Amino acid sequence: MALSILGVAVGVAVVVGIDLANTSARTAFKLSTETVAGRATHALVAGNGQLSDSVFTSLRVDVGYRDSAPAIEGSVRMGAPDGQVVQVLGIDPLAEEPFRSFTGGPQSNLNLGRFMGQVPAVLLSEPTASRLSLSEGSSFSVWKEGREVELVIEGFLPSDSDLDAAALDNLLITDISTAQALLAMPGELTRIDLILPDSPADEAVIQEIKSWLPANVELRAAATRTGTLDQMTRAFSLNLTAMSLLALVVGMFLIYNTMTFSVVQRRPLLGRLRAVGVTRREMVWMVLGEAAMIGTVGSIIGVAGGVLLGNALVGLVTQTINDLYFVVRIRELDLSMWTLLKGMAVGLGSTILSALPPAREATRTSPSMVLKRSTSESSTREKIPSLLIAGLGLLVLGAAILWLSGQSIAWSYLGILAVILAFACWTPPLVLWGARLMRPVLGRFFGIIGRMGASGIEQSLSRSAIAVVALTIAVSATTGVGVMVDSFRTTVNTWLTYSLEADIYISPPGDVFRRNDATILKTAEESIRTAPGVAEVYSVRTARVTIDGRESDLIVTEPRPRELEPGRYKSRMSGDHRSAMRERDVVMVSEPYAFLYNVDVGDTLEIVTKTGPTPFEVGAIYYDYASDLGLVQMTRSRYDIHFDDPLVSGLAVYVETGLDPSAITEDLRTRTASIQGLNIRSNRDLRQASLDVFDQTFTVTTVLRLLAILVAFVGVLTALMALQLERSRELAVLRANGMTPGQVGRMITVQTSSMGLLAGILSVPLGLVLAWLLIYVINQRSFGWTLQFQIDGAILLQAVLLAIVAAALAAIYPAISMGKTNPTEALRTE
Amino acid sequence: MNNLSNSPILSVSDLSKSYQEGSKSRDVLQGLSFEINRGELIVLLGRSGSGKSTLLNMISGMDAPTSGSIRFQNTDLTSLTESQRTLFRRHSIGIIFQSFNLIPTLTVEENILLPLELDGSVTPEQRKKALDVLDEVGLGDRNRSFPDLLSGGEQQRVAIARALAHDPMLILADEPTGNLDFRTAEVVMTILERIVHDKERTMLIATHDRDIIGLADRVLELREGVLHEIDPTSYATHQSGSLAG
Repeated sequence: MALSILGVAVGVAVVVGIDLANTSARTAFKLSTETVAGRATHALVAGNGQLSDSVFTSLRVDVGYRDSAPAIEGSVRMGAPDGQVVQVLGIDPLAEEPFRSFTGGPQSNLNLGRFMGQVPAVLLSEPTASRLSLSEGSSFSVWKEGREVELVIEGFLPSDSDLDAAALDNLLITDISTAQALLAMPGELTRIDLILPDSPADEAVIQEIKSWLPANVELRAAATRTGTLDQMTRAFSLNLTAMSLLALVVGMFLIYNTMTFSVVQRRPLLGRLRAVGVTRREMVWMVLGEAAMIGTVGSIIGVAGGVLLGNALVGLVTQTINDLYFVVRIRELDLSMWTLLKGMAVGLGSTILSALPPAREATRTSPSMVLKRSTSESSTREKIPSLLIAGLGLLVLGAAILWLSGQSIAWSYLGILAVILAFACWTPPLVLWGARLMRPVLGRFFGIIGRMGASGIEQSLSRSAIAVVALTIAVSATTGVGVMVDSFRTTVNTWLTYSLEADIYISPPGDVFRRNDATILKTAEESIRTAPGVAEVYSVRTARVTIDGRESDLIVTEPRPRELEPGRYKSRMSGDHRSAMRERDVVMVSEPYAFLYNVDVGDTLEIVTKTGPTPFEVGAIYYDYASDLGLVQMTRSRYDIHFDDPLVSGLAVYVETGLDPSAITEDLRTRTASIQGLNIRSNRDLRQASLDVFDQTFTVTTVLRLLAILVAFVGVLTALMALQLERSRELAVLRANGMTPGQVGRMITVQTSSMGLLAGILSVPLGLVLAWLLIYVINQRSFGWTLQFQIDGAILLQAVLLAIVAAALAAIYPAISMGKTNPTEALRTE
Repeated sequence: MNNLSNSPILSVSDLSKSYQEGSKSRDVLQGLSFEINRGELIVLLGRSGSGKSTLLNMISGMDAPTSGSIRFQNTDLTSLTESQRTLFRRHSIGIIFQSFNLIPTLTVEENILLPLELDGSVTPEQRKKALDVLDEVGLGDRNRSFPDLLSGGEQQRVAIARALAHDPMLILADEPTGNLDFRTAEVVMTILERIVHDKERTMLIATHDRDIIGLADRVLELREGVLHEIDPTSYATHQSGSLAG
């Protein structure tokens, strides 16, 4: 009973844990977005990422619209260049009141003179201040793009406001001019918040504002901001959820096994009940009632475990989101009632579903048959032809779903599930044949113990096959994901090798590794370009602009000394696209961008520039693995024509031939130290850092793989416990005939390790199929990346060893326990 | 009847066994003392629950007595550890069960070689001897079959061969004909008798089938935990003398 509950609990815990981590990340983002948006219904934003503060003045003076407030958003690091990231919101306290209650409203005793004065002043929440040991009036330093700025605490954010304490925890409020200086955005705003009337009569106001809008500015509904998260992390979240569901699938086999175990345990009782006249229907209800009880208790424990697991996973999920998408900080798990109820429903539902076959097993046979142990085994063997056919059917179904599901990721996973279930159906026959093949081999090495170990698998096929299925699925998932990650890593490594060809790379510290739009100060740039030993430099600028109505990353590059080889492009326009990009409004897009937005060479993208939406032709699609959200690349010469932005986000430096890049790196550090704290890294260091981030993003996947193995481990354990009950008499006979407890233990260990070996061997083809599907179906449909399919023999060997070790470890307790079988049981008559 | 050596191979002295049932102690066997000589066929009678199986369990070392001693020639079984008792059983005892208890995953040959194989590799001589025993029970041609293909009588004959194959000091049989029909039971009993009397084996048969008494050298009966020796020739008169101490 305890094992059954454990089985359900582990399965539910994994699903709930992942779900909570995902939901918490989403809630944290939504909360912070809503907090800074306040009661704004709309916002004015610049498509080219540059919104002049003169637009706000014009809106108030020329249009005369008063329900408007300027805002600047950004992030800084507390205390040190690599300190904790906090959000900065710059506001105009005089325009704020209808929007947000940060300044405390008309009754506020905030000293506006000091808040808006020369000394940079901030408001923050009292809990944050006390956590940082800061008091009102004290000063502290923050870092932005390698510059240190001293801030003074002018006051605390009102604690009686309607704002959520969690959202305020991560926030510094400053005056607009302070934020402009702090975030290096002189004369610029992030947006202008508006409260627009929603009655039809006031439509004219909206029309008036729209007709007044400068070319590069657009009016957006506030709600679109929160949708960004879902759009950005859609594939990431979905893939995590799929992994958790995989653990549940493994868990369902386990629940099936535990429920069968529970029926086996009660078989004599059930037989007696049938003999004294309990009907089949009554017996089904009895078994299902028991399943419901196990499901309920297991799900409650699982939900509690899921909360603990979620707490552990949320950090990993947050780290990945921070590395890849945007800065979000989650202090606590968002215990969504919906998630908890879903966990309960999944646990209870899957337990009852998994209990149906054992319930039928217990009831469909005659009372005398229920008392016989061999019945289920012979019926399992009889089912083998049906299982082979069912497996074939599921494989065809899975292939059909994968073929017909278009770009749908959810349907793709359903197709993969069908493929997994097809393998699950083929496992019992394969286990049967495998055990028969192993019998003489094991006999040669271990004598009678080996032969009996192999025969034991066949003898208890209904139990052993399910345990092997659970283990095979868990291990093949590990292999599949392992091969996929390895293929991905190899591809990224190759890509980094040809992309990073300069000797030294320089960038200001940013908050998101893969999307660094921080800028290098002009003086620092000049100092680097003119440094001795520097042969050539090309710059990169990352800007956030509106392309085809969507906010996207624009990568602006100066010409490289050596251009990419032709093989690095997926497709290109006829003629020299590089010169076209310099001479005309031509851009190139990354492979994920082309995939996500269905863009091809020759299409036109509408990019919002300083003069408003401007058409750009797509000249090439290039392979890129820096962003799953897609990138658009423009030459610096065209960018300078279309944008008033002389800044750069990074510099690539080529060292003069014969000089040591590490010496030049040191020299550049010294030269720029007093100007701006910059990350100056060698080619090798940057590549390593990129691969480290890559590995980090898959940490959560690794954790999930281990959890799936844990679930399978419990599955093997449960199967062995069931075997112990079923074979107690046989074990007693063996003990009576002189088998020592040690020999019993060895026999069980040989049997279980053989099951592990079979699971390991079977997991190799399934793992490779899963890897192939993950690379060519899931990855393609999620991100559109082209990956090289890379099979590392070590991963496959690891999988086989993992299965054997997991199975052998699961055998320890049952082996000891079975060794203690009382031989007198053998003399007890049935 | 057999009048071979009078040297006892088994000496049971003042053997008692009691089980704890809640706060009460239930005495199953009380102060039993008896000896079994080499080449004897002893029948142990008793009703269901009289303690026959409990006595066999203790003689085979599968269970330990509450008090008293069990000696096999120079070995005091009660002084051995569980593991030592298991090895002793493997080498010196052969057991025939009522419900045959063959290992379904092993062939007939593997079943009869089981105690020998558990001891390590089987020599060609041992294998030949074991197969000879299979011939003796009339199943020499079924050595490759699995038990589920044999009839009940055949399975019991395999079980007999398994109990004999390693040439044990003592064969214990617990209701060996209990699961067989009358004719098959007759065949099995004839084989057992032949094995004991022609091959000089020693056997203790626990049964409640009084028809077997005719084959016995001596008859013991367990009544309410106390052992009585019955004269098989005058069994009908039920003259008995208590062996209890």
